[in-house]
Amino acid sequence: MWTQQFRRATRHRLLYAILTNGGNPPSPPGGGATRPARLGLPRPHARMNLGGTLAATAPRHEMPLKPSSFLLSSSLRRSLLASVVVRKVSPTAAAALSPMASASTVAAENGAAKPTETQPVQVAKRLEKFKTTIFTQMSMLAIKHGAINLGQGFPNFDGPDFVKEAAIQAINAGKNQYARGYGVPELNSAIAERFLKDSGLQVDPEKEVTVTSGCTEAIAATILGLINPGDEVILFAPFYDSYEATLSMAGANVKAITLRPPDFSVPLEELKAAVSKNTRAIMINTPHNPTGKMFTREELEFIAALCKENDVLLFADEVYDKLAFEADHISMASIPGMYERTVTMNSLGKTFSLTGWKIGWAIAPPHLTWGVRQAHSFLTFATCTPMQAAAAAALRAPDSYYEELRRDYGAKKALLVNGLKDAGFIVYPSSGTYFIMVDHTPFGFDNDIEFCEYLIREVGVVAIPPSVFYLNPEDGKNLVRFTFCKDDETLRAAVERMKTKLKKK
Amino acid sequence: MEAKLSEASRRVAPSPIQELSHLAQRVGAVNLAEGFPDFPAPAHVKAAASAAIAADHNQYRHVQGICDILAKRMKRDHGLDVDPLTDFAICCGQSEAFAAAIFATIDQGDEVLVFDPAFETYQTCIELALGVPVYVPLDPPSWTLNEDKFLKSFTNRTKAVVLNSPHNPTGKVFSQEELLIIARACQKMDCFAITDEVYEYITYDKNKHISLASLPGMQYRTIITSSLSKTYSVTGWRIGWACASANIASAIRNIHVKLTDSAPAPFQEAALVALTSTPDFYSSLKKDYTARRDFILQMLTDFGFHISFKPQGSIFVFAELRRSWQLSDMDLVKSLITNAGVAAVPGCGFFHTSTGDQSCHHRYVRFAFCKSNDTLNAAAQKLRKLADDQAMM
Repeated sequence: MWTQQFRRATRHRLLYAILTNGGNPPSPPGGGATRPARLGLPRPHARMNLGGTLAATAPRHEMPLKPSSFLLSSSLRRSLLASVVVRKVSPTAAAALSPMASASTVAAENGAAKPTETQPVQVAKRLEKFKTTIFTQMSMLAIKHGAINLGQGFPNFDGPDFVKEAAIQAINAGKNQYARGYGVPELNSAIAERFLKDSGLQVDPEKEVTVTSGCTEAIAATILGLINPGDEVILFAPFYDSYEATLSMAGANVKAITLRPPDFSVPLEELKAAVSKNTRAIMINTPHNPTGKMFTREELEFIAALCKENDVLLFADEVYDKLAFEADHISMASIPGMYERTVTMNSLGKTFSLTGWKIGWAIAPPHLTWGVRQAHSFLTFATCTPMQAAAAAALRAPDSYYEELRRDYGAKKALLVNGLKDAGFIVYPSSGTYFIMVDHTPFGFDNDIEFCEYLIREVGVVAIPPSVFYLNPEDGKNLVRFTFCKDDETLRAAVERMKTKLKKK
Repeated sequence: MEAKLSEASRRVAPSPIQELSHLAQRVGAVNLAEGFPDFPAPAHVKAAASAAIAADHNQYRHVQGICDILAKRMKRDHGLDVDPLTDFAICCGQSEAFAAAIFATIDQGDEVLVFDPAFETYQTCIELALGVPVYVPLDPPSWTLNEDKFLKSFTNRTKAVVLNSPHNPTGKVFSQEELLIIARACQKMDCFAITDEVYEYITYDKNKHISLASLPGMQYRTIITSSLSKTYSVTGWRIGWACASANIASAIRNIHVKLTDSAPAPFQEAALVALTSTPDFYSSLKKDYTARRDFILQMLTDFGFHISFKPQGSIFVFAELRRSWQLSDMDLVKSLITNAGVAAVPGCGFFHTSTGDQSCHHRYVRFAFCKSNDTLNAAAQKLRKLADDQAMM
């Protein structure tokens, strides 16, 4: 079994290396076709987290993925991370990997072009959980094959004019210097007003709202500000990748409860067994990426009871709250007794199709906001000023904007759902977000990564293999995530390709 | 529930700079405290941002062109050969680049040397990463690097040295000799150097900004951080970067992606225009800031401050209190705010060493001069009036 794992892992590294080498197989360790090393250091042969060789458009996705780490033993996994510099990944090399030893550094320092066999990486231990991004790999493959991208979770259409104009106006009016650290007052107020409308909760914009560089930073600031090393935090798998990585950065001890098809409901008894007085926090994402599940009132109340009983914090990522189709979005903070222990996170990007603006926020009672703000002020210090002014305008959009948003996305969803069903997928119901989870097993592939590669190469459509969003990737290997945050033409073209080219086994 | 706060966040106190700023705001003081301009950003840069928004560059983005331009600049200005494809992380400001660099390199218990006085953010980033900041005092009055003190600060747990040059709050530009000392020590002790070079284009007289990474043996172990903010007067745009050798840059990018995922897209586009400004732009920048520096030095000297060290770079002057005033820096600043309506920052917030000679800790006030002529004139007027009033008393 180990050999099988190693073989698959090697194939993935090979695939990755081929992509990042622009189609050429990687050269053997020691140089060869790779660029000459600068300063006598060996060139990494597999580039991780490649910024992209394309001018300006290599997307910074919203959901960076791990490689097929589930196929690797944990020591090999660590070496894959470190294989940025380690060129020959053998079991012994992996085991030998350690923080940089002075000797090898000094040798390289002399300027001699002496690539060492296993050059250790002198980076912090917290990076052990930070894996390379299959997503980048998929995107490169997609471009290579001219595939239609229903993988990336951001729109290929743009935001509303009135918001963009507000930003331009703000720039011209000179709003280009540091904003108040926790947010421009106008935006904090707009966020509080919107939250009142959505949840019925009245919050103090000065003391309970913190503006961050996107919801990603709200999550990072919340975790770094409120979690101690060794704290136990419970997640629901599949989870947005940054949760686990950021928690590991904070030294937390992560437990995951798996949501399973067909309805991805919370396994209540399993959750109850997992929560104890040792639990520091539970993280939920509702509406949920990647399944589209929306936590029901019953589930939220059950979780709330456990939180209150065991004095547990609740971090709620509600970034898709305006994309709720089949059910009403309920904020955990509005469940009785929960506001005092909840951080509610959200952003502008998804609701207003301006994912690149990086305007997000965290709403929490003052004693929790303080921790969030401490971390935030040392992560980014302040959030982009002109965009904050525009965000305030955006959040004051009339109800008609949100109704139209839901209607438009609803139509796209129907388009994709029907198309996927016709193509032969088993389609699971998605109540919210702009994602749909389907089962790909009718097409006869062993796992999601293999299926997604086939989908790109032979069908010309990109989707995301979600196994990397689970602590145990086996749980996700039958599933695929599609997005419908694309213009209609793109969706139709993708559906057409899948209907004609996908072959059931 | 306060018991639920993380230990790291509890060690962190709100910024004394920000608190005084609130006081200054309340009384409507002329703000020479916070280091951001009150004059407009350059028109060509703003126009580029507006154009980017209008042209729909509003989704998650990594603008590779920024790295390409920066690589060329580093070659031209510092003789550095960097790979634009692998050696950069574009972040939300130098703030985030620095935080990501720290998180990428510092493990629990790792020591990080920081020159004192120091910008307040470094310490907290290091502590958030469970590292230990170790302060190396620079010697007044000229804030020279004391080689002995510096070398004695290293232990076998020292992982990195932080170098901010041109320097906030003193305005010092580290000399070639000082950089050599730092470089030799970093190589001997096998540590990282993490630089903050945000004031790189704001230097005075014959002082030249030298990038530590350009010294022999240093590129491999130096993480450069900088940003658009100070050079192009757009502190609110949050576009900065880290530059390091490929494997380190990759680690920094991994962290950055988890902290914020990407820097604001339209401003990345605008950065392409900002970073390719003509040489005229930079010479004007220097000329204008030199004039402001000279103006404020005159203003402070007239008031009675002792300018023991003329800023060689940055947008700050670290003015020394007259002994005869018999006031601490905090008291003087409060007095300036309430009696003159001029805000500045007490130097004590920048000093951290708890051993050795601390006599200078309360003897300095930092003034920012990245302000319009109107603002500087108003400040000068108010200080003159206060001085006259006091003389009469």
